[in-house]
Amino acid sequence: DALLGCHRFYRSRPTHGIGKFKYLLPKEVPKRRKEKVQMKEIDAGTEYQYGDVNIQMTSYDLCLVEHFAQYVHRLCNRLSIQVNESYAMPTKTNEVLFLEERGSKMQLDAVLTTHQRVVQIRGLSSTFAPILLEIIQSNQPEGVHLLVKQHTEADFKSRLKSRPELEELLAQMS
Amino acid sequence: LCFFSSCSSWLPQRVALRGSSHWQNSLLELRTSLPVRAQPKKKKKVDVKKEQAQKDRMKKKIKKLEKAAPELIPIEDFVTPLKYSESSRVRSLPALSPEESERRVLLLKKWCLFKQKQDEAEKKAIKALVESQQEALKELRLESEELYQAAIRRDEGLFPFERDGPSYTPPLPGYDPPEGKCIDITKVYTQ
Repeated sequence: DALLGCHRFYRSRPTHGIGKFKYLLPKEVPKRRKEKVQMKEIDAGTEYQYGDVNIQMTSYDLCLVEHFAQYVHRLCNRLSIQVNESYAMPTKTNEVLFLEERGSKMQLDAVLTTHQRVVQIRGLSSTFAPILLEIIQSNQPEGVHLLVKQHTEADFKSRLKSRPELEELLAQMS
Repeated sequence: LCFFSSCSSWLPQRVALRGSSHWQNSLLELRTSLPVRAQPKKKKKVDVKKEQAQKDRMKKKIKKLEKAAPELIPIEDFVTPLKYSESSRVRSLPALSPEESERRVLLLKKWCLFKQKQDEAEKKAIKALVESQQEALKELRLESEELYQAAIRRDEGLFPFERDGPSYTPPLPGYDPPEGKCIDITKVYTQ
């Protein structure tokens, strides 16, 4: 009776693996959790090396600034400079109005969009920095404004959405 | 005794003033007008409790808001407007003759060669710059050690570095631009 009531399936028996079905179903990709936006540590750099440096390119022309940012990124890859991130800053839209010659009414001239791309590099040596700046300057296209500066927390915070309720409450608390 | 007599002497003159002010319930002196003892203490206790409760509520709200992670502002560049993905916007290009396509391919090859030469020249220039810099630093080290150390250090005045791109045409002399203004209409995103 004990032998008949046994439910174990041996590997040699034909009933081995009976009841399994998960191998028949399509494979499920594990759901990726949304990564929290956290500020990475800012490298200050040593005496002979610059820390995190932001190369910011601003222009009214989108394609031009995109291509220039790609060029700078590839240049840094070629010169084996570590690139932390390469991201875009939010676009700013400006309405340009001008005063008509005869009349006091402001007339709409154009709607301009300003685009900005940032390439963040780390570990730029002090001797190579002027050479890199020289190369980027000589390849700078028309209408693209270049700004190279150290990375700060304020730069990172400017990419995040503002939270007016939280700020209000914090102001009330203190 | 003399104090009371002096009080009674200036009381009639001061009474009129006291009666006109609405802060004063009676025409008598300040210390006899309002019951000073019991009420303010009660007020203090209730105030303290209320304030504490308010502060706790605010702290809870702040904690709840801080739990949510900060979000990045979405970039409008990477979102194609819907009007560009309409099916009616399809171009029909004319067919190319074989001579034309041949000409185009040969032109492309010439352009590739030109760009390759340009790129190689740039790489050579960079290499030459770096080599000459290293040689100069070597010579400087042989000259004096402390000058070499000072040269190796990083330049604090280098960043921030700003430069406007070159322009197609120089600015027109004596150009009088019309008056106007710029309004920033960027969409503000809040969390």
